Amino acid sequence: MTRDEFERNRRRFGDIVEAWPAPFRQQALALMAAERKDDPDAALDRLVLEAALTDSDDQELASKVLARIEAGSAGPSLLARLLWSPAGFAACAAAALVAVMLAGYQVARLQDDPSDTELLALASGSSLADGGVVADDPAEEGSL
Amino acid sequence: MPAAVRHEEPRGDDELLARIATGSQSALSELIARHGRGLRIFAARYLGNVGDAEDVVQEVFVTVWKQAARFDPARGRASTWLYRITANRCIDQRRRRALRSFIGLDDIRDEVASPEADAEATTAARQELAIVRDGLSRLPERQRMAVLLRAVGDFDIAAIAEVMGGSAGSAEQLLVRGRRALRDHLAMVAVGRERKSS
Repeated sequence: MTRDEFERNRRRFGDIVEAWPAPFRQQALALMAAERKDDPDAALDRLVLEAALTDSDDQELASKVLARIEAGSAGPSLLARLLWSPAGFAACAAAALVAVMLAGYQVARLQDDPSDTELLALASGSSLADGGVVADDPAEEGSL
Repeated sequence: MPAAVRHEEPRGDDELLARIATGSQSALSELIARHGRGLRIFAARYLGNVGDAEDVVQEVFVTVWKQAARFDPARGRASTWLYRITANRCIDQRRRRALRSFIGLDDIRDEVASPEADAEATTAARQELAIVRDGLSRLPERQRMAVLLRAVGDFDIAAIAEVMGGSAGSAEQLLVRGRRALRDHLAMVAVGRERKSS
């Protein structure tokens, strides 16, 4: 922070630097303490703040926020937010997996639905190759 | 400068929030003018991405607009409340980023601390700041958050703990470790440079 910026902020926030909002407050205090030797932690904090500074336009930010408020949406729809939140995504993925498993089970069940004849052949030990026909008389088995 | 005075919250924020709760857009603009910059710096350095930080801070102020009536000055400072909302949004944003990256929709890039751009910095001061930024980006997330809350938000240990939702002891540990790691990083880079020059 330069002296000019300090004076500009003093007109903006008042004479009591301690009442200024962060990070203006620390920058002003850093300027005031520039020639004063203080503890290494405070010096590191000032260095981190200086390194962290980015360009910003508060008026632009305010206009964007107000536009979002007037648009009536704080962000994406509930469904979109649900999908993009990790928990929501995991829940949707789990639901989709369960649905696919159930569908697969149903399809497989329809394809593998054993007929009564096949079950009877299986129970009696007959080969399904002969069509699962079960001889009425066990003596007839093997007699050609 | 007495430390007790240093962290005293101006009553202006409480009044602004009370006015916002009644639907005053000018009060919201004033709150943004007071805290928008700090929140944006905090979010940008924590997330490592200016675009994400911009989005997060907009969301924070929209939330403030909607929830201002729920703020209770007796339970804490307005700035702590604002930074807590921002910290939570930043954590959500990081998780979303990680998920998008995991499913291949995004690359996680540190757009704020771009070492290539910073490497072009010619002055020693700018190079030092670039090294600090690099060190910050390498810190574990919670240590980085604690260090940024201290440096950018000007919070004391108790307030850092309140924002991060932990005990004062753990907040202090995070801050101490974060600072130590930053110092180690700065020292390591300095040693590396000395070796290179010799």
